[in-house]
Amino acid sequence: MLFDSYKTDGFFDEMFGNGGGDAPRDHYGQIWDRFSVMNDEELQGKKGALDRSFLVNGITFTVYSDNAGTERIFPFDPIPRIIPPSEWETVETGLIQRITALNLFLYDVYHEAKIVKDGIVPMDIIESAEHYRPEFKGLNLPNDVYIHICGTDLVRDDKGDYLVLEDNGRCPSGVSYVLENRAAMKRTFPRLYGNMNVRPVDDYPLQLLQTMRYVAPHGKTDPVCVVLTPGVYNSAYFEHTFLARQMGIELVEGRDLVAVDGHVYMRTTKGLVHVDVIYRRLDDDFLDPTVFRKDSMLGVPGIVEAYRRGNVALCNAIGAGVADDKVTYAYVPDMIRYYLDQDPILNNVPTYLAWREEDRKYILENMESLVVKAANESGGYGMIIGPKATKEEIATFRERVKATPRNYIAQPVVSLSRHPTVCENGKAEGRHVDLRPFVLYGDRVRVLPGGLTRVALRKGSLVVNSSQGGGSKDTWVLRSSLGES
Amino acid sequence: MLSRVADSLYWMSRYIERAGNIARLVEVNMEVLLDLSLEQQGSRESYWYPLLDATALTEKYQALEDESKRPEVPEFLTLSLENPDSIRSCIAQARENARMVRDQISDEMWLELNSLHLFLSSPAAAALWHRDPEDFCTQIIRFSLLFQGITDATIPHDEGWQFIRTGRFLERADKTTRILDIPHRLQSGRGPLPWATVLSSCSARAAYRQLYGGEVTERLATNLLIFSDVFPRSVRFCLRMVDEALHAISGTPRGQYSIEAERLTGSALASLDFAGPDEVEMMGLPAYADQLQTKFNDIGQQVFATYVLLPSEVALQITEQQRLVYAYTSQSQQQ
Repeated sequence: MLFDSYKTDGFFDEMFGNGGGDAPRDHYGQIWDRFSVMNDEELQGKKGALDRSFLVNGITFTVYSDNAGTERIFPFDPIPRIIPPSEWETVETGLIQRITALNLFLYDVYHEAKIVKDGIVPMDIIESAEHYRPEFKGLNLPNDVYIHICGTDLVRDDKGDYLVLEDNGRCPSGVSYVLENRAAMKRTFPRLYGNMNVRPVDDYPLQLLQTMRYVAPHGKTDPVCVVLTPGVYNSAYFEHTFLARQMGIELVEGRDLVAVDGHVYMRTTKGLVHVDVIYRRLDDDFLDPTVFRKDSMLGVPGIVEAYRRGNVALCNAIGAGVADDKVTYAYVPDMIRYYLDQDPILNNVPTYLAWREEDRKYILENMESLVVKAANESGGYGMIIGPKATKEEIATFRERVKATPRNYIAQPVVSLSRHPTVCENGKAEGRHVDLRPFVLYGDRVRVLPGGLTRVALRKGSLVVNSSQGGGSKDTWVLRSSLGES
Repeated sequence: MLSRVADSLYWMSRYIERAGNIARLVEVNMEVLLDLSLEQQGSRESYWYPLLDATALTEKYQALEDESKRPEVPEFLTLSLENPDSIRSCIAQARENARMVRDQISDEMWLELNSLHLFLSSPAAAALWHRDPEDFCTQIIRFSLLFQGITDATIPHDEGWQFIRTGRFLERADKTTRILDIPHRLQSGRGPLPWATVLSSCSARAAYRQLYGGEVTERLATNLLIFSDVFPRSVRFCLRMVDEALHAISGTPRGQYSIEAERLTGSALASLDFAGPDEVEMMGLPAYADQLQTKFNDIGQQVFATYVLLPSEVALQITEQQRLVYAYTSQSQQQ
């Protein structure tokens, strides 16, 4: 059957302890019972039904490298990932701690920069971060929130400890898959889902709307909120429409908005309508051609002026990216100690910064065993995994690190935890996974129970990004007892 | 409603109606070809050219560079991606527009449209077309009717729906005149004109029989398809629907107008209200159809100018004072 020849191969396995395929961890007991009795036909039937429902529902992403803008479904694996309540509690408090520190840091960086004066984070690092926007120093934002929506990437190491891989504080995507995956799983495995006492995820859109309303300019009580999308060819376009629809607000493109006299309006068939809060799924660079990239066709000329004057709020704030720079990342544990006087609950992956001479030496000498990443790239681009890289790739990265040390960091290869995943031969095999929980920072911090579990579908691969052969799983956080939400 | 959204809903609807009507056109033509004598069958291909003329596609067809690879006309009209108005292209464009307003339409609408799009992009569509072209056309026609039914039954009948109707009925009025035009383009003198076929392709056989009995004449068929006040594919009926939708959007009472598109529609409608087959015969059907088509074009352009284009131009050159005026007028429009 499905788990017959399953091997954990010495990795930390989410579902099985060291015993292998017939000794699931306690919280996976019901999953094992349900899946191990399934014959091949039933399993393929369920899997086919899931894939078809994603395709006809248009739950797809667009592949960038392809001019035709090919749409693909995000491959989905039917075996859900289970997180027991106590484990989740640690993750949740750790995430709340982290986003709180990050917002305090951003406020500080754009005001007095005490953390620099006190010698915790060097000014060089802040000033050289690509997404640092010194021109917004001194600007006060509603309720001092910079990162309203955060999609932190977590991994588990060989001991099963959760580590933060990166903080995505600009436009993290993927939450629509969490909601759609859940809907599909509830349809496909209604009884199993019902029996396991899983915490629901479907109030996320409402919470997102509350988060947006919380930062309405001038304390407006009934603000007009919109989602700003780069347009139909963006890889996450489905998600933009999904969120706008779920929240019941307009999905706008740059050309739908116009800034007049420091206010932003949307163009409607009845004339201009004032816009107060914008959840923008567009990087800073593309927001306003009069301020940032002049060739941006996606933005709104004058929107930054309206933002400066406090007449429109942007989620996330302009310049929030300085906090998710991969070099700044290395200082987040220090920030937590500095601002909150607490020890970090979730640890970073140990990180070497190439701009420090000692670290650089170590990186150059040990590149074959490290993961080397460009500081400002995401989506699995601009990185190499030392043990899997060719000699040429390593040589190229050596030169790059020497030429622009500020741009590179390195980390030991974390042997990501694995999770049973249905493979083409109809058997379950271990595949590496990570976890992207979604955190909302409004009147209080809310963490969506679970998040997006991404799976590296290729055997042995550590890259989980959808653009590079990754898939996803539904993530079930269990309630600790009946009645608790 | 966002201007861009209004525009997308309008075009989504037009493209779906257009796909259905192209299927109707192809269907009529195939029927006519079946009745040709054996000598005439030698020049089958030439019987398809009038259809290109009727849909203003002759130039696009001839512009296809490589003559040897040029698809045959029926293929060009149905599955070719080189023809922006082929059935497959229409559905792709309707879907692209629907994707842009995915948050504004019902899941049921999206599912139908997306499924058809996926089907037309698959080898199964080409296989069906080659095996049974008539069935292919029937399925497209059925889809467009189904989609319109789903639309009417699953979304609020508010402003967006009125833009959908405007697109649907303007397109239908236009294509009804083009279908009517085919028999004349096929040249008289090659036998009796296929009016009965024209009626069926407009789903008008039963309506005709009830009104006029079994014998089909050009005069009565024209009367039904242009002037009927109750048949939902007649030009007059369609224009009345456009008129209703435009007035529902602007809030102006019927019989008056506040925008140019309303004035043009009202005037075209009035001329049909007070005309009949005599006027058509006097002018000749092709010329009569032609002047109607020009009016439809003008109406479409004016809808765009008022609801989609103008707000952006206004917005770009707006001054504080104009803004106040604008805010004031938009408030009064809403009341």
